[in-house]
Amino acid sequence: MVRNNAFRETTYALAASAGALLLLPLAVRDPFLLDVLTTGFLLSAFAGSWDIVGGMAGQLSLCHALFFGAATYACACLSTLFHWPILLAGAAGVLLAGLAGAAVGALAAPLRGPFVAVLTLALGEAAHELVLGNVFLAGPGGYAWGGEGGIPVTVPWTAVSPAAAYYAALAFLAASVGTMLLVRRSRQGLMLRALEGSELTARASGVDVAMHKRRAFTIAAAIAGAVGAAYVVHVGRATANDFSLELSFQAATFAAVGGRGSVLGPVFAAFLLHLLFQGFDVPPGTRILFYALALMLILRFFPGGIAGGVRRLRERRAGRAEPR
Amino acid sequence: MNPLIEVHGISKSFDGTAVLSGVSLSIAPGEAVGLFGANGSGKTTLVNILSGLIAPDAGTVAFEGRDITRLPIDARYRLGISRTFQIPRPYPVLTVRDAVRVALPAPADEPAVETLLARVGLSGQRNFPCARLSQGCLRRLDFALALACRPKLMVLDEVFSALSMTDEEELAALLRAANLEDRAAFLLVSHNPPLLKSLCSRILRLEGGRIAGERAV
Repeated sequence: MVRNNAFRETTYALAASAGALLLLPLAVRDPFLLDVLTTGFLLSAFAGSWDIVGGMAGQLSLCHALFFGAATYACACLSTLFHWPILLAGAAGVLLAGLAGAAVGALAAPLRGPFVAVLTLALGEAAHELVLGNVFLAGPGGYAWGGEGGIPVTVPWTAVSPAAAYYAALAFLAASVGTMLLVRRSRQGLMLRALEGSELTARASGVDVAMHKRRAFTIAAAIAGAVGAAYVVHVGRATANDFSLELSFQAATFAAVGGRGSVLGPVFAAFLLHLLFQGFDVPPGTRILFYALALMLILRFFPGGIAGGVRRLRERRAGRAEPR
Repeated sequence: MNPLIEVHGISKSFDGTAVLSGVSLSIAPGEAVGLFGANGSGKTTLVNILSGLIAPDAGTVAFEGRDITRLPIDARYRLGISRTFQIPRPYPVLTVRDAVRVALPAPADEPAVETLLARVGLSGQRNFPCARLSQGCLRRLDFALALACRPKLMVLDEVFSALSMTDEEELAALLRAANLEDRAAFLLVSHNPPLLKSLCSRILRLEGGRIAGERAV
């Protein structure tokens, strides 16, 4: 009964949120605010994609930005240097991110807990330093591409209205959340939640843990790659920041605040915190401090995050409603 | 009759301390074997080697004539060797139903899940998170997971410990049914000789990492 009510309430809340977000550009005309919301949708999808590997499968990945950055750079390089159509370049970016995820997953599969975090931290930082320290491409007109400045992306349109970008990002968020929820409800999702709960019991129940870890990284990386492709098209340039540790920490913190493994919790938390950071114009250095503090406090006092709190409230309410 | 599982000359040391030294045993299809021994005699290490959780330093394990010494626990489960744990480690957030779905071979249809839950008496708890189960129900769930692969051999490590009399009797009945109706052989580790005598046709005694005795019941 609690589960049915929860499903109904979640569906209503999602429908109401979608309705409000669809109508918002009719009331809000400020391009800056629309741009903040557009970026918020993409960041939310990114946090949700981390939740597949970090929340559902319980692998503390700290190189999620690597998959995002691989897609932004692939998209920018292929569209600008090789003149690929942007859709094809985006698809190649997603594929590259997925392959990078499979490779990281293969390396991380035999490891557990903190060792996964250390390995992925090292891989993420290596990739970040690689793109940051190398001005590896010479563009037309004597421009040096790569390094901190990154590489521009080439799109066939000259300008997109803020409202159109907003709706495109909202549609992207809806599609990616739908995909992530499908993964969570699938047998694959069940296996990931099992190995997050008890790797030993999962192995003793015939689950090929290494294979499912590889799949978790691959799926999460492919979705992060799709977000990267969408993001680079929105901002017009792939930069070294796309690989930054801050971005990976951001995804992990948003997921912890929202409730790891729930998909919707991290997506909601990412959107909310992004709006707060932008609204209060929080500088990047302070954000890192916030991520660290939030992670410590959430893991210590609210391990279930927002989603866990909502679940407990529902259970308490259902308990009170039980006839005595 | 060809043995179902044949262990030959198994040895295992941890940090230079020998826990098992040249253990050999065999179990026939459908046979009910008990394993008795003092604390520290190497029972759990033997269970871990038989189930594939750890590999021996020396010796071989053959199952239905095939060498499985280096086969990991998940692959052995799919072959039909299942196990239970002295201390069950449930999935904290999965429901009982989902835990059973994980263990059943794909595609795990709903009737198969319900049949297994009814068999171990957990139908009423199907939507409970595993972490909230009582000790007795946890043992039943652990047993259900061991049954899900339609085992040819079950390795049961202290499955009756810390149970009420009623739970013990019901679990013993389940084990008898699996043995007699499904022809699943088992190796039952226990500190309780009367229980071993009531369930097993042969009892092995492990002492100081060696098989020190064997007797038919």
